[in-house]
Amino acid sequence: MKYRFIDDLTSDVMFEVYGKSLKEVFENAAEALFSVICQIKKVEPKVSREIEMEAESAGELMFDWLQELIARSDIEGMFFSKFEVLEVSETRLKARIWGEEASPEKGETVVKAVTYYGYSFARDGKGYRVRVSLDI
Amino acid sequence: MKEKLKRIGDFEWELDENSRERMKAKARIIANDAVMEAIEDDAVQQLTNVATLPGVVSPVVGLPDMHWGYGLPMGAVGAFDSEHGIISAGLCGFDINCGINLIKTDLTSDEVKPKLKELVAELFRNIPAGVGAKGKLKLSEDELKDVLVRGVDWAVEKDYATKEDKERTEEKGRMEGADPSKVSALAMKRGGPQLGTLGAGNHFLEIQEVSNIPDRETAKRWGINEEKQVMIMLHCGSRGLGHQVASDYLRIQEQAVKKYNIWLPDRQLACAPVNSPEGQDFFAAMKCAVNYAFANRAVMTKWVRESFENVFKREWEEMGMKTVYAIAHNIVKLEEHKVNGEKRMVYVHRKGATRSFPDTPVIIAGSMGTASYLLKGTETAMEKTFGSSAHGAGRVMSRHAAIKKFRGTEIASGLEKRGIVSKSTHPKVMAEEAPEAYKDVEAVVDSVHGAGVSLKVARMVPLGVMKG
Repeated sequence: MKYRFIDDLTSDVMFEVYGKSLKEVFENAAEALFSVICQIKKVEPKVSREIEMEAESAGELMFDWLQELIARSDIEGMFFSKFEVLEVSETRLKARIWGEEASPEKGETVVKAVTYYGYSFARDGKGYRVRVSLDI
Repeated sequence: MKEKLKRIGDFEWELDENSRERMKAKARIIANDAVMEAIEDDAVQQLTNVATLPGVVSPVVGLPDMHWGYGLPMGAVGAFDSEHGIISAGLCGFDINCGINLIKTDLTSDEVKPKLKELVAELFRNIPAGVGAKGKLKLSEDELKDVLVRGVDWAVEKDYATKEDKERTEEKGRMEGADPSKVSALAMKRGGPQLGTLGAGNHFLEIQEVSNIPDRETAKRWGINEEKQVMIMLHCGSRGLGHQVASDYLRIQEQAVKKYNIWLPDRQLACAPVNSPEGQDFFAAMKCAVNYAFANRAVMTKWVRESFENVFKREWEEMGMKTVYAIAHNIVKLEEHKVNGEKRMVYVHRKGATRSFPDTPVIIAGSMGTASYLLKGTETAMEKTFGSSAHGAGRVMSRHAAIKKFRGTEIASGLEKRGIVSKSTHPKVMAEEAPEAYKDVEAVVDSVHGAGVSLKVARMVPLGVMKG
């Protein structure tokens, strides 16, 4: 399972993302996010963008990654559906993302922000598990 | 925590300072029995968390639409001393100046109903709505900065709004002290293309008719004369610009908590001392988002007027389409209030709360398909709630749960059976806003009216609904 949604509170969306590696968990988290923003299966990977970022820890890096994706979607007026992490460490990420011009027909809802409510970034024997809640 | 609430009136409850450790202020909740039943314990707990913050001025207020929110419930008010208190991005909410414009017409529902489908379709054509909708305005960076500084003054200059619209907007559509240099480049980029867009989620545009008028004298002063009069309600906020300002300053204030060694019961209550750079920079940036949102709704008001003109082939002035009032319900303001008999300047954080100053309009939006209310503010609100009232019905079910439980198409056909025309970019948005996902707006309004923190003026019911 890449991710699952959790029914938790009265005004947010919460999901948990899994990945055997850092690469996987970052890619899966992006997919979970855009499955909230748009009808991701209908969004074609027509054009790509590159994202590079740094943070102080893997947890912060994940938070910033999702926040950056929300902002990029707004700024460029695009929906994204395919995510490939090219290089990743605990503090640095380089990724290529694909998508197409946004249109309300393929939209779902406006995600305002990632929040710290219930946010966690954990690693265990099986890999990574991240819990994210969104303000929508 | 709810078990500790003491009833102090039919519509009023309190938690004293001993309800938990470190509480420096009381918590007060305005609610009748039905509403109190629906309020979550976690949300009450959140009020007590806020009551521990530095410089908090008693009481922290929960309004009848309160429900769990980030740090502070939606439907709540926290006031802080203007010298020793804090200011907080989290206590303002992610959608800065989410608010409502109420526009009247002189048309009756008998005139509008036959053209309703056409009208809703025309509104949909003229007002970009839904996630991914492209804005129609192309603003240069300098022009966007002008919007952030001048709000509705910009809209008046560009002929989107009239001077009368401006006079009938909270803060006259422009908060002084807005400083675009405190707004990040990312926030500017997010907001640039979105001015004049409705957004999605709980944002909507509704065509309503007046169903009854409890206070005819006040209603008349505000342009509402009779039942069946058609009204327009526009609900939206500061779009990506405000969301980014909130996100940026939540992060900055997280650091400020460490820097100024502020004890917090909950990380979500990130804040900064009122007179620190982290506090005042947020205030200056928030004002930019506030002005942006006022301008955003003013621009869409023009397009609403044009849509009516196109459908009814009459000038909007001739149809009497004047702004009744435009209010904010996620905002921080520096206001003078009487505290223990003395006048004090306090930073009032209204999160999902409407200003309710004596004889000013208060607008409470119902959930989709249910009634909405125009009320008037009171002196009692100045004494009990820092001049605040409720803003809506308040959710009782998460959007996620509502989508699982309801089918959007069924919600739409349910509305249609009641003669309500609805249109959305896709059905899921109808499901997440299903009326059953909210408290009963009548109980919310009865609570604020009963407590005297705002009084009913007119009740409106929907005819047509447009959602993003």
